[in-house]
Amino acid sequence: MMVGKALSSDFLKIRRKGIWFLVFLGSVGLLAMQALNFGLRYDYMIDQYKADLWKGLIGEIFSFVPIALYLGATLISSQIANVEHQNNSWKQLLALPISRASVFTAKVLLGFIAMGVACLILSAGTVVLGILLKFGTDDIPYLTILKLSFLPYLGALPMLALQLWLSLTLKNQALPITLGITAAIASMFAANYPEFIPLSWPFLSFISEAKPALPVGAGIILAFVVYMVGMGHFRGKDVN
Amino acid sequence: MGELVIETKDLNKKYRGRYAVRNLNLEIGRGEIYGFLGPNGAGKTTTIRMLLGLIRPTMGSIQIFGKDLRKEKLNILRKVGSLVEYPSNYGHLTAVQNLEAVRRILDVPKSRIDEVLSIVSLTKDAKRPVKGYSLGMKQRLGIATALLGNPELLILDEPTNGLDPEGIHEIRELIRSMPQQHGITVLVSSHLLSEVEQMAGTVGIIREGELVFQDTISNLQQQASGGFRLVVSEPVEALQLIRGQGYAGQLEDGGLKLDQLSDPEVALLVKRLVDHNHAIYRVEEKRRTLEDIFMQVIEQGGLS
Repeated sequence: MMVGKALSSDFLKIRRKGIWFLVFLGSVGLLAMQALNFGLRYDYMIDQYKADLWKGLIGEIFSFVPIALYLGATLISSQIANVEHQNNSWKQLLALPISRASVFTAKVLLGFIAMGVACLILSAGTVVLGILLKFGTDDIPYLTILKLSFLPYLGALPMLALQLWLSLTLKNQALPITLGITAAIASMFAANYPEFIPLSWPFLSFISEAKPALPVGAGIILAFVVYMVGMGHFRGKDVN
Repeated sequence: MGELVIETKDLNKKYRGRYAVRNLNLEIGRGEIYGFLGPNGAGKTTTIRMLLGLIRPTMGSIQIFGKDLRKEKLNILRKVGSLVEYPSNYGHLTAVQNLEAVRRILDVPKSRIDEVLSIVSLTKDAKRPVKGYSLGMKQRLGIATALLGNPELLILDEPTNGLDPEGIHEIRELIRSMPQQHGITVLVSSHLLSEVEQMAGTVGIIREGELVFQDTISNLQQQASGGFRLVVSEPVEALQLIRGQGYAGQLEDGGLKLDQLSDPEVALLVKRLVDHNHAIYRVEEKRRTLEDIFMQVIEQGGLS
């Protein structure tokens, strides 16, 4: 498989480029904020959420998940693309016997995997944090904790696809980064947006427990469409 | 010339209404070192990018190994190694990691990494991050990368640009060894004739996007004759005699300036002059350097 070869090459190339550091920083950063939030005013928080301590922690963490996903997608995409941009290595890479579709897909997968690892760390870290906060180990809501990071992630996939497309095709990263940060800030007010606005999907996918399938499904479909359009652009592009 | 490795037909590339490359017909035979010459901005890099499938021609076709580049791009690229302009290594990785990143895509045995490192004499520095390399070392790593997939054709764009004389010499020797030692056809571009004439067998000269000369170096050298100069005892009378024989000539600094002549013509003229009791002091051929010819081709768009 050509995508597999390109992906294995990409894993080697991103060493020491700070991508895994970003993955770690984003997920552990969210947890550290809540560790402080609960640690500094433990009695107050415990009193407030005494009905369901785990649910309280999950809710507190979730309020920052959409913005973290958007920022993460923006920065990780940019870093992945910069490995080639900074070294002027697109011309070397694309003159190799590998299709452009494979090169593009491998980088998209790399971004997808890096973000997925961040979500996994967030889920695992949430369990650990809850235990450290003495919420007990008897009724840990594992499924909800997985949903906490992965459902919003699926809702944020269109942004990841868009960021990868822009970062991989534009040498100047100012536009994608500005766009990503703006979207991240705008996503904080997602509760006020109509649900057909993609910015609301990371929020709705976890909050509207009744029908998360809608924002999640829409996220996956739109992400795939953006990926296909981006790949079409990348394939036909002149490499200078 | 035998079998053609690269053949382009009426290749054109237009950027915003301006032709960067126009009606280019390159012919490069197997086992050759082909020097692709032209001043900066003449369209060398644009042509090379088209040959590698990095940019699409506006018009025209490219055949490499007898196959159409548009239809069999990946099959062709599997047998092509390339170095396009300034180095494009991954600075944060070592030479070995750089080669490994490419090897994973090419799918050649790991032992090939050590082989190409030794071909370009980088074995000693292979474990250092490439950002600490000199430009010459980066270029050599670029050539090692190009060689990694055992190519039959090597396309090198300005491989000696910005190198010091020692670096230029190393790269030149390396390129020169390719056809004999590895059976590789080489296309090497440069804006300096002096650099290419020492390794290339054939040259193509491009000017403002158009190929204005394509022939062997030795044919180019034959055109280097800029006429003869005769110094004789009585120049005025001798000139009349020469004109009487149907040759053009004029007086110049006490000598006679004649146009380009073949060997028998020179012999005949000298005999006539001696028969008429002229003393001949000197017969000089005024050779133009290849650089002069190159400049003439570039300025006038052809050889006069």
